[in-house]
Amino acid sequence: MSLRIKTSDPAVKALCKVADKEDIATVFDRYQMQLPQCGFGSLGLCCRICYKGPCRVDPFGEGPQLGICGADRHTIVARNVTRMMAAGAAAHSEHGRHIALAMQKVGKGLLPAYRIRDEDKLYRIAELLDIDTLGKEMLEVAHDVATKTLEDFQNQDHHKGCHWISATLPDKRVDLLSRLGALPHNIDATVSQIMARTHIGCDAEPKNVFLGGIRGALADFNGMSLATELSDVMFGTPSPVVTEANIGVIDKDAVNISVNGHNPLLSEVICDIARDMNDIAKGAGAEKGINIVGICCTGNEVMMRHGVPLATNYLSQEMAILTGALDAMVVDVQCIMPSLPQIGNCFHTEVITTMDENKMQGARHISFHEENAVETAREVIQCAINAYTRRDPNKVNIPNIKQTAVVGFSSEAIITALSKLDAVDPLKPLVDNIVNGNIQGVALFAGCNSTQTVQDESYQIIARTLAANNVLLLATGCGAGAFAKHGLMNQQATEQYAGDSLKAVLTQIGEAAGLNGPLPLVLHMGSCVDNSRAVTLATALANRLGVDLCDLPVVASAPEAMSEKAIAIASWGVAIGLPTHLGTIPQVTGSDVVTELMQEGAKDLFGGYFLVETDPKIAGNKLVEVIKGKRQGLGI
Amino acid sequence: MKELENNIIYADAQKCLGCHSCELACAVAHGGKGGIIDSVINKLPLFSRTKVVVSDGVMMPMQCRQCEDAPCAKVCPTGACRQENDQVQIVEENCVGCKLCVMVCPFGVITVKRDAFKDDGCSTNQGVALKCDLCTTWRMESGKQEPACVEACPTKAIKLINLHEYRMALVQARAKELAQSQKHLNLTLRKL
Repeated sequence: MSLRIKTSDPAVKALCKVADKEDIATVFDRYQMQLPQCGFGSLGLCCRICYKGPCRVDPFGEGPQLGICGADRHTIVARNVTRMMAAGAAAHSEHGRHIALAMQKVGKGLLPAYRIRDEDKLYRIAELLDIDTLGKEMLEVAHDVATKTLEDFQNQDHHKGCHWISATLPDKRVDLLSRLGALPHNIDATVSQIMARTHIGCDAEPKNVFLGGIRGALADFNGMSLATELSDVMFGTPSPVVTEANIGVIDKDAVNISVNGHNPLLSEVICDIARDMNDIAKGAGAEKGINIVGICCTGNEVMMRHGVPLATNYLSQEMAILTGALDAMVVDVQCIMPSLPQIGNCFHTEVITTMDENKMQGARHISFHEENAVETAREVIQCAINAYTRRDPNKVNIPNIKQTAVVGFSSEAIITALSKLDAVDPLKPLVDNIVNGNIQGVALFAGCNSTQTVQDESYQIIARTLAANNVLLLATGCGAGAFAKHGLMNQQATEQYAGDSLKAVLTQIGEAAGLNGPLPLVLHMGSCVDNSRAVTLATALANRLGVDLCDLPVVASAPEAMSEKAIAIASWGVAIGLPTHLGTIPQVTGSDVVTELMQEGAKDLFGGYFLVETDPKIAGNKLVEVIKGKRQGLGI
Repeated sequence: MKELENNIIYADAQKCLGCHSCELACAVAHGGKGGIIDSVINKLPLFSRTKVVVSDGVMMPMQCRQCEDAPCAKVCPTGACRQENDQVQIVEENCVGCKLCVMVCPFGVITVKRDAFKDDGCSTNQGVALKCDLCTTWRMESGKQEPACVEACPTKAIKLINLHEYRMALVQARAKELAQSQKHLNLTLRKL
């Protein structure tokens, strides 16, 4: 029968009992309270974009078929989903802009808390963006890279694509997108244009609206590419590191601080400063000092770069507080539940917002700016230490549930590992194994958690199916968090679930890379803004084989897609040619025109398409079939 | 012999926000397969037996009131519409779609329609009289306690009412008030 606590995570199940006992409502209770959810909204048939509305179209044809303005179901659905893509693009790109602006200031020597940690990557990017580095100081190069990057928010020439997307996708794909009018020229302008064209009385042709949305989704790709790559330059490019994941990483003998959200600008400095303030924490009675743990994608960022353990992913962020041992939760931007301060009030936990445009009622706000990063980090950590002294030991309940996770697989790290097999041509071992079928294909798991499914469950079922069929697995975002928490990012998982030929390849690479065993079953590529890392790898493969991305046996899967960012990611996944699985039903099915456009229509235009399947077992099998089909297409 | 009135669907106009969720749930409960999304994708010809109406700013869903002296049952020439099992039932197999019930229904809540794909090669519209059946079949098949519209209502404006209980609640409430006034009446009378 229906499950009240919709999760497969044993730590979440354990902590929900605490919530029940303390009469604290969690995300699972709020979901139950929302049931049944509105059918019009679920179908995308509710239009609220003007004050004549709300208007709804009757999906069964008895009632109104047009909104008051005359918009039909297809226009309404297309406008709704397109606006969500724009919001996703805005979110990722705002994050990217923040990083680029910071790097520009670092280049001018204005931000002492930050420096350039990966000079090699800086120079690689300079070359990629056609920036002359001759005779320039390293910091000047950084400034120039940031400045040219920011042109992607400023260019007014509609015929000139954004720098990053043009430089990071295969030429064939850039040409195709350009021909279709889907290549963004300016991130901000593209988002604005979507808002303008979907205003009342503008673009009403559903396909045209939807293609405008795809342009926005590709602006999202551009924004996340630059965010990821510039973050690597400033904070270091991830390389494999062994760490742990799930609630058990919270330590009762330490001052526990969780970093939650997406943007690494503050959390990086918190990690630095925590080392300096360890003795203060010990002085306050915490014998193990300060323990930073990650949640959601800020968690993934610091996990990838510093091996900071991951406490949990999106849907269970409240659970960290329910342990009674979390002293502060520091949040930045995106996917932060507004319920946190209230739950924090039931314990001693300080919930601290840090971004002036992302506040929550009931939270303490400590305003973060890069210029005062160190002071902010100190203040935040001091708050946590003070809270620690108020911790009630009787309320501490940390389920001892955690798994080993080997993370940090940036595309560079994967290439480095492969170079141990072939130093001259590192891609060759991967290409050879794909061609000979030892690796049947590659699947990228991306996206969120959603109460529409059982938390983390579909990820695991689909991954096990694909692994058994010798598909190489990559993951980002809360999908990566799910795999880390459930022990699918370690060597034991490879031994247990990988098909024989995949296991042999992962073992060969892992041994060569000095891991004393195979690579983990699922390679953690970073936070959700890091999905571009997988595209970097896929582009390298496509260029190497002289084909386009849609020809590769590469698929994407978002079994729990939830946020507007996820809608943007899935949409650019389709637009760059990837068959993209969604395990939650997009709010578009009220229009057969848009539904068809996202499937067969997209396939005709881009080669990629949405594959919607809510049953994870069936989805896994369908993805295996898609990969087989792609291999046939390539004649391998 | 039955002693009680038929149960009815009752909607509290104070709570109804006009979201039409009851209509969608009703449509899906009568022939929908796999919930609303699959039903829409598969273009099932479904429709609701309840209808949200607004008049003078007051909004509420209207549906069959399960009349005790039902005009629809009286006029039905085939006997398809009759009082049976504590409600006014229409046996769809026996209905010819003559619409007499539609014409005499004081509440306008009967429709003559085909709510499934038409059989190929049939020379008629295959319409039959359809109205609220209190989700009897749906509840039996799904194991649900409440009719679909009741379950779907986000503000709990819709309820399945047992008239005896409803009346008892009213009687109790009024009795409590009267009891209070009786005390005061007694006091006043004594003083006189």
